[in-house]
Amino acid sequence: MDVIRLKKGHDLALQGQPEKQLFSAGRSTLLKIRPADFRGVKLKLMVKEGDHVRTGAPVLYSKTHPDLFFTSPGSGRISRIVSGERRVINEIVIDLDKTDSFEAFERFNEQSIASLSSERIKGQLLRSGLWPAIRQRPFSTVANPDIVPKAVFVSAMPTAPFAPDTDYLLEQDDRGFQSGLSVLKNLTGRPVHLVIGRNASHPLLTSVKDVVLHAFTGPHPAGNVGIHIHHIAPIRNRDDSVWYLSLQDVSRIGKLFLTGKYPVEKIITVGGSSVEKRLYMKVRQGMMLGDILRDNRYDENSRLISGDVLTGEIRMPEEPLGFYHEILSVIPENSDRPFIGWLRPGLRNYSVSNLFLSRLLNNRGAGLDTRMHGSPRVIIPFGNIESVLPMDILPTFLIKMIIARDIDEMEKLGIYECDPEDFALCSFVDASKMEISEIIREGLEYVEKNG
Amino acid sequence: MRRLRNILDRIEPGFQEGGRWNRFAPLYEMVDTLFYVPGTATSVAPHVRDAVDMKRSMITVIIALLPALFFGMYNTGYQASPEAGFLQNMQTGVLAVLPLILVSYIVGGLWEVLFAVVRRHDINEGFLVTGLLLPMTLPPGIPLWMVAMGISFGIVIGKEVTGGTGYNIFNPALVARAFIFFAYPGQMSGDPVWSLADELTAATPLAAASSVQGADAVGLVSGAGYSMSDMFLGLVPGSVGGTSTLAILAGAALLLVTRIANWRIMAGGVVGMVATALLANMIAPASQNSMLSLTPLYHLVMGGFAFGIVFMATDPVSASQTNAGRWIYGVLIGFFCVLIRVLNQAFVEGIMLSVLLGNAFAPMIDYFVLQQNIAKRKRAYAKQ
Repeated sequence: MDVIRLKKGHDLALQGQPEKQLFSAGRSTLLKIRPADFRGVKLKLMVKEGDHVRTGAPVLYSKTHPDLFFTSPGSGRISRIVSGERRVINEIVIDLDKTDSFEAFERFNEQSIASLSSERIKGQLLRSGLWPAIRQRPFSTVANPDIVPKAVFVSAMPTAPFAPDTDYLLEQDDRGFQSGLSVLKNLTGRPVHLVIGRNASHPLLTSVKDVVLHAFTGPHPAGNVGIHIHHIAPIRNRDDSVWYLSLQDVSRIGKLFLTGKYPVEKIITVGGSSVEKRLYMKVRQGMMLGDILRDNRYDENSRLISGDVLTGEIRMPEEPLGFYHEILSVIPENSDRPFIGWLRPGLRNYSVSNLFLSRLLNNRGAGLDTRMHGSPRVIIPFGNIESVLPMDILPTFLIKMIIARDIDEMEKLGIYECDPEDFALCSFVDASKMEISEIIREGLEYVEKNG
Repeated sequence: MRRLRNILDRIEPGFQEGGRWNRFAPLYEMVDTLFYVPGTATSVAPHVRDAVDMKRSMITVIIALLPALFFGMYNTGYQASPEAGFLQNMQTGVLAVLPLILVSYIVGGLWEVLFAVVRRHDINEGFLVTGLLLPMTLPPGIPLWMVAMGISFGIVIGKEVTGGTGYNIFNPALVARAFIFFAYPGQMSGDPVWSLADELTAATPLAAASSVQGADAVGLVSGAGYSMSDMFLGLVPGSVGGTSTLAILAGAALLLVTRIANWRIMAGGVVGMVATALLANMIAPASQNSMLSLTPLYHLVMGGFAFGIVFMATDPVSASQTNAGRWIYGVLIGFFCVLIRVLNQAFVEGIMLSVLLGNAFAPMIDYFVLQQNIAKRKRAYAKQ
């Protein structure tokens, strides 16, 4: 197994690193489903307010694939369906019963999983509501059940700030991981690429079956699946699809097939300088952030982020953790205006550049909060955005072509290989304070619609 | 400090949408963010941001220019009357150079604000660098109205008309200098312009080296009284900021450590210059051209080569914007510089034209690098 070594990038020295202690979030009284978590599908309701649902029972289905279900992560009564403009469903609230009752799915033992047919796997995944855990590049949508991807990627070396450690996750719970990988292999018949860190030690990672194993090293975003796809099986055009999913979702798929029940739990990290206890937590899918932080304390003036600080989304305490998110970041909100900031020595300014004295101390003592630290300006290509993008893509030119809405050039410059999350650090280091991730997102949406 | 903040907050509504002074919003933005870092918080991911911004980046270039500027002031006085002593020389220099800088900033700033207001964009900090670069490339005694004309041409034609900040093809400060050079050659070239004192005429080292056909250039330079160490320190006639290789190297060190300037451009420039000069040295015995015999070290310390390659060629906007392209661009500038110095002795100071030529080639160089990148991607796609 070759190790692919990447040099470009930056590991954010963020304060409030989660400690390796696992706590359970306990039971909450309600759960929420946010249809907006699922990109690329139009959803239709299958329940109405007052209906009772079991865990794993369908709540929504996809308009284009009526057999693709989005199911309930708990048993209880649908207490509220909140819709927004043009009848878009914003939120489905489920009041939980005292105990869980599970929708029954097919059960298999490990041997029979190894010989399952693609059709049976697909049927069970679509029905169970775990299909949406599989996403598709380009465009990062829920995987299209009608196609066969050229490969499946499972990235097990996350480098994002506060991302849960793979070895630790498997130590806590390794049930279903191998079965999940076998399911994916039989589902697609295409290579399943498992990417691990060079120092991965868990026996399951080193003796794993049914996958092509790769190792990567390097600073963030070396652990992003988009970077792995770029270096292993780059996406050539809009129809050249790759599927990907997280390690915990692989395990959940495995558990579904081993137990016949919809697995509702996952392990997340809670981190950030504004939260008192930074740790690993076992939570239920759809739990509200307020419930996750119930036994914790966080500053009033802080920002709750579902996901990591580079790519996550701002959420209120009464909103649920994102379906795909495994991190809850809590960082200080700040809009202070230091006097003549550009002239200060900058011992407390976090920067990847060498423009502040803090660099001599490796940014120790320099905290990060929600400040922009500057005004938006036009592109001046100093080269800092290139220094954090470990891809053979020329970001400055790609950005210009996206702004010019030139689809031909975007395609030539490799837009299909790009995803906003891989460009998050580019936004972070840009001296012009351009929203580079957002520009990439706009470019992808534009080619998706008009290409 | 509180009071200033209060004043700014009080007048802010007038500059916002619908306010009386809304047209002048860029001016307010400039003053407001000059004194206080903008208070905006992130609204989309990434939720945290690096402390770097355009002000910090551009002020770093200004700081890198300061050693050359201060030395240039001293040298301006020193060239006028070498025996006057340090303080007297410094005073003469400040009095001569400060007006150049002020005119450049005020006239250029007016254009900058005018375009910002009319085209409704914010005022860009890059102007602070342009406005200081121009006077540093001029002879100290140049009439102020020429500086005003030059910076006007540089900002309006060199920058705003050809795309505006971030898109301009040529380095605006060099466009300004080239304009003055070709429009008013009497004040920009020839022996008398380099010294403030009217009765003194002094050839620059480059002019001395090319003065006699068939002679040895190194001999001509030392014959004119310029030692290697004088030229390295910068105690020779020349443009305000361009004579001291030592002070320029100090600025280069800061630009390289902070990575504001791309090292590939500087390295490429030196490689191109050394290679071309060595080549010229090989041909020298067969020709009457004295400049052919000038060794690379002399090319480095004489004239504006160091200043141009460190501060002019590295302007990130008008240079090549790909890493491979930056190498080619740098080498090309070094090559052109020696070529012009040697072959076209009417423009014995070759660096200005060679950087402008480099600017002109930069988009084409980038185009080829881009095609390479696209071809490489196609090959990677085919290999799967």
